[in-house]
Amino acid sequence: MESTFDSLLLGFSVALRPDVLWYAFIGCLVGTLVGVLPGIGPLAGISILLPATFGLDATKAVIMLAGIYYGSQYGGSTTSILMRIPGEASSVMTCIDGYAMAQKGRAGAALCIAAVGSWIAGTFGVLVLTVIAPPLAAFALRFGPPEYTALLVLGLIFLAYMSSTSLPRTLLMAAVGLLLGTVGIDNMTGHFRYAFDIPELGDGIGIVPVAVGLFGLGEILSTPSANVVGKVLTPKLRELLPSRSEWRESAMPIARGSVLGFLVGLTPGSAHIISSFLSYAVERKLSKHPEEFGQGAVAGVAGPESANNAASTGAFVPMLALGLPTGPVTAVLMAALLIHGIPPGPTLVNDHPDVFWGFVASMYVGNVMLLALNLPLVGLFVNVLRIPYAYLYPLVIMFCIVGVYVVNSSVVDVWIMLGMGVLGYLLRKLGLDPAPLVLGLVISPIFEMSLRQSLIMSDGNWTIFFTRPIALVLLLVAVTLLSLSGLSLLRKRRDWRAQLAEVEAGE
Amino acid sequence: MTPRTDQVAGVAAIIIGIVVLALSGDLPFGSLSFPGAGMWPKLICVLMIGLGLLLCLGGSLSRPLAEVGWSDLPHAAIVTAVTGAAIAFYATLGFIIIATFLIAGSVMLERRHPLVALIYGASVSVAVYALFTILLKSPLERGLIGF
Amino acid sequence: MTQVSRRGLVLGSVASAILLGDRALAQDSYPNRTITVINPFPPGGASDVVTRPLVAAVEPIVKQPVIIETKAGAAGAVGAQFAANAKPDGYTLLSHITSISGFAEVDRLFGRQPKFTNADFIPIARFVADPCVLIVNDQQKWTSVQDFIADAKARPNQIIYSSSGLYGALHIPMALFAKAAGDLKLRHLPTTGGGPAVTALLGNNAQALASSVSACLAQIKAGKARALASFGGERSKALPDVPTMKELGFNVEYYLWVGMFAPKGTPEPVITKLREVFNKAAHTDQFQAALVNLGQELAYLDQPEFAKFWDQDAKRIQEAIREIGKVEG
Repeated sequence: MESTFDSLLLGFSVALRPDVLWYAFIGCLVGTLVGVLPGIGPLAGISILLPATFGLDATKAVIMLAGIYYGSQYGGSTTSILMRIPGEASSVMTCIDGYAMAQKGRAGAALCIAAVGSWIAGTFGVLVLTVIAPPLAAFALRFGPPEYTALLVLGLIFLAYMSSTSLPRTLLMAAVGLLLGTVGIDNMTGHFRYAFDIPELGDGIGIVPVAVGLFGLGEILSTPSANVVGKVLTPKLRELLPSRSEWRESAMPIARGSVLGFLVGLTPGSAHIISSFLSYAVERKLSKHPEEFGQGAVAGVAGPESANNAASTGAFVPMLALGLPTGPVTAVLMAALLIHGIPPGPTLVNDHPDVFWGFVASMYVGNVMLLALNLPLVGLFVNVLRIPYAYLYPLVIMFCIVGVYVVNSSVVDVWIMLGMGVLGYLLRKLGLDPAPLVLGLVISPIFEMSLRQSLIMSDGNWTIFFTRPIALVLLLVAVTLLSLSGLSLLRKRRDWRAQLAEVEAGE
Repeated sequence: MTPRTDQVAGVAAIIIGIVVLALSGDLPFGSLSFPGAGMWPKLICVLMIGLGLLLCLGGSLSRPLAEVGWSDLPHAAIVTAVTGAAIAFYATLGFIIIATFLIAGSVMLERRHPLVALIYGASVSVAVYALFTILLKSPLERGLIGF
Repeated sequence: MTQVSRRGLVLGSVASAILLGDRALAQDSYPNRTITVINPFPPGGASDVVTRPLVAAVEPIVKQPVIIETKAGAAGAVGAQFAANAKPDGYTLLSHITSISGFAEVDRLFGRQPKFTNADFIPIARFVADPCVLIVNDQQKWTSVQDFIADAKARPNQIIYSSSGLYGALHIPMALFAKAAGDLKLRHLPTTGGGPAVTALLGNNAQALASSVSACLAQIKAGKARALASFGGERSKALPDVPTMKELGFNVEYYLWVGMFAPKGTPEPVITKLREVFNKAAHTDQFQAALVNLGQELAYLDQPEFAKFWDQDAKRIQEAIREIGKVEG
């Protein structure tokens, strides 16, 4: 512990050097910017700045690039709350209650909570990273394909179990997402699936067009201006800050989101997206007022926003401790280290303590910087709501188009976005929740890959999921949840029949 | 029996499941020890059909379809059409022209002054174009105006 | 990336001439706008770590932005196909590796019309040629290739090896080795890239892997993975104690090389310019320093030599793929 403290001191002596601070600031600034803008994400942001780092030393380079990554998780909530366009895929859940809060005039509070939650989660993540990175990394390595398959099964059932609408409805939406996720070239055999000779579809259906279409455009389609006229949304200055009860309601969700997010962040794949979904589901289940979710529950903003930040920190653990990237962003960061002659891996801490601890310390500093950067911006961003709706909604449509287009410079993506907007409109008519669809799309490729890999590993033996302890535990939890919800479904049915009988008796 | 929302969703799921199954005829299911490209989609199709059936059966509890309001349909249709037109000509005309047309057109639909709409649309488009192209190095479609 | 011909429209020229004055005149000289290099592998992979510093060295030479567009999928086929269909104007290039030669062969194996062949690309230059190395994880008892072979023969189809994908760059050397060692029966676990393949090995979800030296050097040094043999013609400088397959009596040679390609039909003057540019960029101190950091060294081949090398290499790979045969599923 003492040596950790000493090492951390060394780290801070690096991270607090003015020149290093400057690069951390640039990283955080760019991160916030790409986070705020829909579509363009941390990967694009890092790619933009990567060439600029070749002239820098490794510490500054990785500190700046990492700043973009965790900084983008801060900014992602802004457009979600104000316009219901997910700024990042991991902010999809924030769209739901964040936007509902904004409509109630609590946009400032939502943005503040998101920023503070992100800060707490980010700092918590770095703290855990500092203390127990190596054993955690070893644990992450035990997550092979069977464990990951089990985790995803559990995640889906968990989400469905905790959702407000019925289990089959949630699972149905997730299934639609899973099916959309199969479009494109099969990574394992090279077969083309449902691509209909459209080359852009060979790459699969992106998360950004689907999320932006379902949420951003879908909202515009079902909100004619006539319904909005007369609704005054100008927030007053003192209403920018969260009230005392809002703070109270978000404390536990932030804490839970931080822990949950960090743990999920250790696993490979799109952990920061998945963690925000899980956190939302947990909060709704644990809440005393689950009916408020979807209507502007502050916990529905605090939990997921904390979770995605903690997850983005958690993702650094396997990268730094093992030299194994868990996602595209950490892979690029690793490449940046490699290019500077610092191979991340089990020997990083000993061989390059200044880089490792400087990097860790810079994340403490960076998180403070981001908070200082984001809180004043709340006052600025909230002004977006002063724009009359007739002027605002064309702006939202344009941002939907631009945000989707810049990801791949693909017009096909924009068409998908429009199609998803219409789908989102229809789903709303049928009372179906589009969020599980996005989750299904995100996990489909990982799910399929790990399932098929597991079967190859076991030579076609299904019992591989029950003979490996971690996988078995995860699956048992899933089965328990499923039977619990089956039970409550039956009970509800009886209740309803009983009620009907009473009503009839009354007549 | 009046159709309910869940029943509509259930029937749609069953239809989608069957259609996708029909489309995936040439994708091999493979074997358990080496699952093929068709295994996963086919499993999901079966899952969808199953969930669809479940929704149809349990759907009598949900809201009747007739209760769903469609007052926002004209608005949705217009916005979809305008957006669709904008996307269709996006590559040819370029971002600035398309965005100006899109924003100005939508604002005019809200019965604002055309000149105001035009100035608003043009200035926002140019600003966004500059932001993405210059600051973020992510070029938007140039089209007719070559910056 | 499709503006050039549209800008040829009369209206377009007029508009741009009015708006931009001299910019319109600059169109004849290549390059006059952003060049996109397609990287068909996930970030952090073997081609990515070489292409990024290379592109950074190219940028100041061409004085235009050069961006890397990642189009990963199907072991590199997605990106290659995208590049093959791109407009051959020199503004879309492809950075690809050894496995580019295999895709058409795989398509033939499946009785499909190949989506692209080697003839769809013009080679520009090769930058590195990293020999593969056979590694096993630290939980395995094998300390030599002979141990490994003996165990594989005793337990057919039980030892699992990971790869970057079916018929991918890391699948082929294992297949070549298994054949040379007397038709070993090993089980193949495809993943999505070089990084995930190493992860599978370290987590003991796979026991063996033919990896590029640069991707696993840190793990070897930390004792998490053990190198049994290298696939190079001579011993790797980074691993001088590891024997080559040839020394051990297996006639196997395999390199992971990274080269730059342009789509077929790219005009000759543009190709000449590109050869010049990449030659200059590859020999900058900046790029060579980056390669040293990666544990690699420059193995530069200009177009004529590269084309010859590529031909031979392609034959080797196509044979290996026919050897693996059609995998059902």
